[in-house]
Amino acid sequence: MAASGEELEDEEYEALAYQQLLKAALHYTVGRICEKEGGESGLQFSRRFIAALTETTFKQCESFATDLELFAKHAKRTQINCDDVQLLARKSSALAAHIDDMSKEIAKAHEADKANRKTKKAKKSKPAQESAAVVEIEDES
Amino acid sequence: MDDPTFKLETVNKLLQQFFRDKQKTKCNGDAIKLMTELLRIFVAEGAARAVQQAKVESSPTVETDHLEKILPQLLLDF
Repeated sequence: MAASGEELEDEEYEALAYQQLLKAALHYTVGRICEKEGGESGLQFSRRFIAALTETTFKQCESFATDLELFAKHAKRTQINCDDVQLLARKSSALAAHIDDMSKEIAKAHEADKANRKTKKAKKSKPAQESAAVVEIEDES
Repeated sequence: MDDPTFKLETVNKLLQQFFRDKQKTKCNGDAIKLMTELLRIFVAEGAARAVQQAKVESSPTVETDHLEKILPQLLLDF
């Protein structure tokens, strides 16, 4: 890398700097997650461990991104949506179930949002009934 | 959620820079939320498994050696 330093063009430099920024952001959160995990178990994480885990996550992200892009492409879409992520989490059943639940929750929140907006548009014709219905649905889950 | 997690914006930019068709491919807001959770679980799972490995070896700190040992299975599970 050092030898080709002069050959690197401005664009490549910029891309590299951008990557470093992203890695720094990733590193910070990985550190915090590890801190919490360490607090629960009473063990300390070495700095090298956190750096290595960050690097792993970054690489893993690359494979996630390629997969997501190809899933969306296969479905003849250019926008990645929840279904693609659900497909990405297929390898472990517990993880798949968790992601499934979360996507359902998000969908439900959207529906509640829509219902709220409709009631607002209807200028309080019967907002109390609708919002009560939404609360009931959420309670059932 | 109390658990520390990634910023949505960070995850979005991270994914975006890896796409091959950077102009066309976009990520849905909900998909980003799910991806953030997935990444959080990935990191938490890696940390938890490394902690267990360190405990087995009765080491006071979690080192890269422990990560090396749990990495293959971790990558197979995601």
